[in-house]
Amino acid sequence: MRAAFRVEIRKLLRSRVAFVATALMGVLLPAMGLGFYTVAVSGGTGSLADKAAALLTGEGWVGYLGQVDQIAAVALFLGAGVVVAWVFGREHSDRTFPSLFALPVGRGTIAGAKFLVLIVWMVVVSVLIAVVALILGRVAGVAPWDAGVVLSELSRLVVISLGAAVLSLTMGLVASIGRGYLPAIGTMSVIVAVTQIAVLFGTGGWFPFAVPGLMAVAGMEGIPTLTPIQLALVPGLAAASMWLTVRWWRRAEVI
Amino acid sequence: MTAPIEARRLTRSFGAELAVDGIDFEVGIGEIHAIVGLNGAGKTTLMRLFLGMLQPDSGEARILGSDSGDATSEVWGQVGHLIETPFAYPELTVRENVMASALLHSVPPSSIGAAVDRVIEQFELGHWANRRARVLSLGNRQRLGLASALVHEPSVLILDEPANALDPAGVVFTRDLLRQYAGEGVAVFVSSHHLDQLARVAHTITVIHRGRQVGMLEPSGIDLERSFFEIVHQSDMAIREAQA
Repeated sequence: MRAAFRVEIRKLLRSRVAFVATALMGVLLPAMGLGFYTVAVSGGTGSLADKAAALLTGEGWVGYLGQVDQIAAVALFLGAGVVVAWVFGREHSDRTFPSLFALPVGRGTIAGAKFLVLIVWMVVVSVLIAVVALILGRVAGVAPWDAGVVLSELSRLVVISLGAAVLSLTMGLVASIGRGYLPAIGTMSVIVAVTQIAVLFGTGGWFPFAVPGLMAVAGMEGIPTLTPIQLALVPGLAAASMWLTVRWWRRAEVI
Repeated sequence: MTAPIEARRLTRSFGAELAVDGIDFEVGIGEIHAIVGLNGAGKTTLMRLFLGMLQPDSGEARILGSDSGDATSEVWGQVGHLIETPFAYPELTVRENVMASALLHSVPPSSIGAAVDRVIEQFELGHWANRRARVLSLGNRQRLGLASALVHEPSVLILDEPANALDPAGVVFTRDLLRQYAGEGVAVFVSSHHLDQLARVAHTITVIHRGRQVGMLEPSGIDLERSFFEIVHQSDMAIREAQA
């Protein structure tokens, strides 16, 4: 596993896809949250101000980080999903998949190393978002400093970001079976649409892809409280898809 | 002694298409065994079966005495291959690519640096060593693929069209390289479209047509191209007669 991990981490560190995704999610996402929060509390009128105000989950740090939560719940799934799709689909798309056969390091181990690298990267990105959100909030002076509230809300942001990101690990299976990253990117669009429908019909709690979004707006009027089983569906789905992906890599043929 | 590469009644189809049809085949220690055939003859499929990239429908593909479907890490650690696209991740430098191949081929960490330096020098990639593979010409990517296939000093080498994209100097270089490795006891299984190249280096040349082994060519023979087409033509005639 160590050899495969070293190879995969080097590939990810050198990848433009991962660099751009990290930069966009790490910097742009908290900045967007701050922008929406600023508009929401500005007292202005207009559709953007109205919508931003409607999504406020509280005041001060709670309201600001709540906006970041809501963006992260969708953006992390899509942003991390692109990287997951690339990591598992690139050898198929650039036709280097045969190079991963007839090696002392098995393909199941290589797939496992890819997941391990991705999970480490997702933790780093989730923490980065929280750190940048903290810095931006302090610089912008969204509210007086309250260590208890801020740390609690930042922890919540990390959990929501990580939850949305690990759900994108399912795209490893799609990219593998689809033998390229494009099928996974297409599938993500469908999942985002289906998630909206599931939430509209009130069944979102049982649809794991909706869980991070529902966590982000927890406590707002009309939002159901998530049960422990519904919350457990998120890591459960991620674990199941990782297991199936590793199994696929072990058994796959070159076609 | 068992041949390092050995097939017995090896068969594989894709739907109704028989890609490899009952092939018996072997490559001995220190032998360069070449296969030739038209496009779609089954050469790459045969190589993939030996490398565990495909499973046979029936028959055996054995490598270093093990069935290719369940060969151990120790077996694969002695095998080098280049099938289709070279091992060349565009975002990694030439050195990083060779290093990645060394890691995946279980070269001991203490030996990786020296092994990487050795093949980079051997394949004259020193000038490009710290550049990303994406900037390499096709020929240099092929050199990188060969370097990656050889960094762990394998005892079995399976190469599909190794001279692809190489300039004339690269072709001569590859030929000399195959000779050198075979001379050191490596079993070399190679495919090529260029009969002339094979004639200069192979000990045995097998002709594959429509998934079947249809004849042999004598490497020292005159006008190999003509002999090749005669074998292919006779095979087609035999198939037609059988169908009539």
